[in-house]
Amino acid sequence: MIEISGLRKTFTGQDGAPVQALGGVDLTVRDDEFLTVLGPSGCGKTTMLKMIAGLQTWDAGEITVGGRPVRGPGPDRSMVFQNFALLPWATVLDNVAFGLRLKGVGKAERTERARDLIAKVGLAGFESKRPGELSGGMQQRVGIARALAVEPQVLLMDEPFGAVDEQTRRLLQEELLAIWEANRLTVVFITHSMEEAVLLGDRVVLMSARPGQIAEIVDVPLDRPRSSDVGGLERSREYVEITAHLWDRLRDMHEEHRAAPSEQAVR
Amino acid sequence: MTAYPTRAPRWKRVLDSDRSYRLLTFAVFAAVWEVYGTFWGGLLIPTFTETAAAFADLLRTAAFWDALWVSNQALLLGFACAVAVGVPLGVLLGRFRLLERLTDVYLNILLVTPMAAIIPLLIMSVGFGLLSRVILVALFAVVMVVVNVRTGVRQVDPGLIQMARSFGASERQLWRDVLIPGALPAIMTGIRLGLGRAVTGMVIVELLMVSLALGGLILQFRGTFNAAGLYAVIAAVLIESLLLIALAQRLERLIAPWASTHQQGKARR
Repeated sequence: MIEISGLRKTFTGQDGAPVQALGGVDLTVRDDEFLTVLGPSGCGKTTMLKMIAGLQTWDAGEITVGGRPVRGPGPDRSMVFQNFALLPWATVLDNVAFGLRLKGVGKAERTERARDLIAKVGLAGFESKRPGELSGGMQQRVGIARALAVEPQVLLMDEPFGAVDEQTRRLLQEELLAIWEANRLTVVFITHSMEEAVLLGDRVVLMSARPGQIAEIVDVPLDRPRSSDVGGLERSREYVEITAHLWDRLRDMHEEHRAAPSEQAVR
Repeated sequence: MTAYPTRAPRWKRVLDSDRSYRLLTFAVFAAVWEVYGTFWGGLLIPTFTETAAAFADLLRTAAFWDALWVSNQALLLGFACAVAVGVPLGVLLGRFRLLERLTDVYLNILLVTPMAAIIPLLIMSVGFGLLSRVILVALFAVVMVVVNVRTGVRQVDPGLIQMARSFGASERQLWRDVLIPGALPAIMTGIRLGLGRAVTGMVIVELLMVSLALGGLILQFRGTFNAAGLYAVIAAVLIESLLLIALAQRLERLIAPWASTHQQGKARR
């Protein structure tokens, strides 16, 4: 379980003026929940994820994971990056085993576990390829396998499918659902796609920008497993209604900002 | 390759290789040289064939091999020093912004100063021995190494550093698994460019400072108006540097293959 309370962060902008990235965020992520976070750019969603990962400091508030306060990166959390962040000189096998290697897991064991996960994400046979020889979708499969290899309790995903083409993105969504449904863990998934947020999440956290705050949390009461019939799900009434509702809210946020630009300056 | 319905015949592929183009330009160059040397060369410009003959003679003299050995002592030691000092220094400068700020000016001075100008200075303080030649070669090479390594370390993708941190990498692990391998292609490039400068240093120091070894041979042949011999020694220096650079390139590809696979595997045919 992840508990976030009163989380605040102010950056200094390029012109020297303070920019409030997070303005007091309270959020509870349940065990084995798939939580998606949606919001316009600049709403602090990635900043919040990096704080949970322990890669980013904050000014006030607290984050605990499994009851322990976050003071930096830890073996209970692992992250999947938007731009994959694979080591270009290392093979697929070594990339997947990277986290295990840092933890000091022996070569035989980490090779075995890495092979297992490579097969799980559908990359068996590509173990000795380098990232430069793989497509974007395959590279992110490596990124997912690397994050799962360390057997985290929490998987943090920062717009993981934002850098791949649409067809690949859909395939990856289905595969991620299948993997997660077979072996559940807590997932915090950042996205800017409403469809993706609804398709994957148990709940969708909608954030607003300047300052980054939680605007609404929407339950997604769609049946699981969803991976077997994604097409049917997307035609269901609930799916269409929730996406429409999210779009209404996002559009309102844009209009509010256009209507009241001076208000930000006062704050 | 598979895109073509039929593979080009073997003779065509051999003829179309980079090597045959290189041979072609060399043949044209040699022919023009030969013609020029024959009709307008006079005493001071030998023909290509005269030079080639002088080169063959040169290879049979003990004096040449001695000279080559003596010159290369300075090259080898000086270049080794340049790498031993330049790589760690470049790594530190690339990683720590403060160090870089403190030293940037001096590096730029070293980069643009004509090194030959400090030769008298060296002679006055160290004398004519092997040591001063080694120092000069090292000075010639070290700046190239430092600057390239520094750039290489700085260019390591910050996303990779963050990724390693997220998996709990310690500073030591970060160096071993991310920073050093990430900078390796640039380190190898720095070493290759440094090698080129080291050869320059080797010859210049012998021409300007201590008339000895290969540089000494050049001066001696010049003094006796032995044009063909002079050209032959210069050709020997050229050939040595070409061989060294080729060796460095091969090493580069061997040590950091991922850096060149993109261009080689995909761009070529």
